[in-house]
Amino acid sequence: MSESTMTRRDFLRTTGAAALVGTARMSLLAEQNAQNKARIILIRHENVVDKDGKVDRAIIEEMLDEAMVKLFNVESADKAWTQIVKPSDVVGIKTNVWRYLRTPLELEDAMKRRIMAAGVQEKNIDIDDRGVLSNPIFAQATALINARPMRAHNWSGVGGCLKNYIMFTPNPPDYHPESCIDLGALWKLPIVNGKTRLNILVMLTPQFHCLGPHHFDKEFTWPYKGMIVGTDPVAVDAVGLKIIEAQRTVYFKEETPMRPPVRHIKAAQEKHGIGIADPRRIDLVKVGWTEGILI
Amino acid sequence: MPVILLFLTFAMTPSDTLTQTAMQELLPTSLRGWDVSEPTRFYSGREIFRYMDGAGEVYLAYGFRRLLVQRYARPNHEEILVEIFDMGLARSAFGAFTNMGGRGPVVDIGQGGEFKTGLLSFWKGRYFVCVMIDREDDEAAHAVLELGKWISAKIKEQGSKPDILRFLPDGSYASSSLRYFFRNEILNIHYYVADANLLHLHEQTDAVLVRMISDKSYLLLVQYPTSEQADSACIDFSRHYMPEGREKRIIQTENKKWTGCVRHKNFLVVVFDGGSQAQAQNLLEDIRRRLP
Repeated sequence: MSESTMTRRDFLRTTGAAALVGTARMSLLAEQNAQNKARIILIRHENVVDKDGKVDRAIIEEMLDEAMVKLFNVESADKAWTQIVKPSDVVGIKTNVWRYLRTPLELEDAMKRRIMAAGVQEKNIDIDDRGVLSNPIFAQATALINARPMRAHNWSGVGGCLKNYIMFTPNPPDYHPESCIDLGALWKLPIVNGKTRLNILVMLTPQFHCLGPHHFDKEFTWPYKGMIVGTDPVAVDAVGLKIIEAQRTVYFKEETPMRPPVRHIKAAQEKHGIGIADPRRIDLVKVGWTEGILI
Repeated sequence: MPVILLFLTFAMTPSDTLTQTAMQELLPTSLRGWDVSEPTRFYSGREIFRYMDGAGEVYLAYGFRRLLVQRYARPNHEEILVEIFDMGLARSAFGAFTNMGGRGPVVDIGQGGEFKTGLLSFWKGRYFVCVMIDREDDEAAHAVLELGKWISAKIKEQGSKPDILRFLPDGSYASSSLRYFFRNEILNIHYYVADANLLHLHEQTDAVLVRMISDKSYLLLVQYPTSEQADSACIDFSRHYMPEGREKRIIQTENKKWTGCVRHKNFLVVVFDGGSQAQAQNLLEDIRRRLP
């Protein structure tokens, strides 16, 4: 038995910001590296989903556009999209089709249309999840857009933007040890390395708790009605995790850590250097509805 | 002697895996208007990752052998999905059931079942079964439950619940919180202790975790094949998790709650997050007195 092992008590000692302190050795985005900060947009709208969870197409498009304007500090969403894709790009939109909580079709459609409006030919765009390794568009992709809902996960703690790239490896179990701590390494695979232009963590009705493998229960979701948008997948997931944890405290009426503890977000910064998990280095811009924002 | 009897119980449990055809015979071809809509799929061992990603590790940690997946369709209705996990042993099937137990109302299907929001889960013999539908209405709920009853009736074998459960203080813990397992990975899902396997859990140990009603503490009881193994685990756990407690069995942790452990023969009793030192102490003693 090794003399030093991470225990629950170490987590307790370092709860909060201190747990996430670390030095980013390498970032996906050179610009963010230079600034040493990640800019993240949290946008919410009270009416984006109805009581049955149905997405309002017009509102989610409006939210996407507003988030892009704020993220890139430009006058229009069109300009923002032209900053991340150019007409010659081949674009893969990595989505998530989990039957209970998928990336909304309305969002997929909105992203595709905006990429086309930026000049990319339709034949050079595809949307895929489980078939990315056999999809010729993804094989040739020069740009990737990553969008999926946030949910609790029985093995990795949470599934967010970082975990969404598990489908880019032919050997997913290689990334399972220690609660999937090395999911950040996926982002250095040649098929994705340096190609991701945008990450959208869908927080419309996130799942904050699960009991068992691929478990879904509507009781463990809530209408947060938000999206977290950024170029840094680590920062996007770190913010999403904070919100999920806050909701767990509200629901369970006591501090209830994720089960199992989420290891891969911090490791994505400290070990794999692909982004920023330290909240002090995340410039979080909140837009829209603020009730029950939890962060 | 009790340890030997425990092993004999498991050893005598049928361990031969049914052929795929025989597993398929656990299912009807149609029921209440839903018909088999796709060929049956099977996944053995690590093939489970072709069906589910990281969640497959949970079943593997319980000794999973083979998974049958069958879909049923009915015009203008949601699809019904059936998953039958051959877990090899009854203890594994029971463990997989408790791993996601406490979801909702108990149903009298198999040797223990729950049904909530379109998902029926139950265990019987060496099988853990899930029958689910995305959007539940009365008709769909009846179909899911009837399908579950059909499968349960077709499974002829019965399994025994792990013997370790009888040492738990009935009525003092939340029954929905009971988790039975034998691997550190599963413990860490329900109560993260440490990355390293400080408690030396392995396939021949039996472990049960429950949450107490009085102070919401967690009680972990582990039975090892030998006293020596229990002693070794106790030493390792104490040294790494509660190093300041070398002279005491109970310490206060960073969250202001109390953790303690005691070994008794081939058992180890651990209390996490006790409300007070006295509560943790009393629980440890209570369980120790129940052990053989």
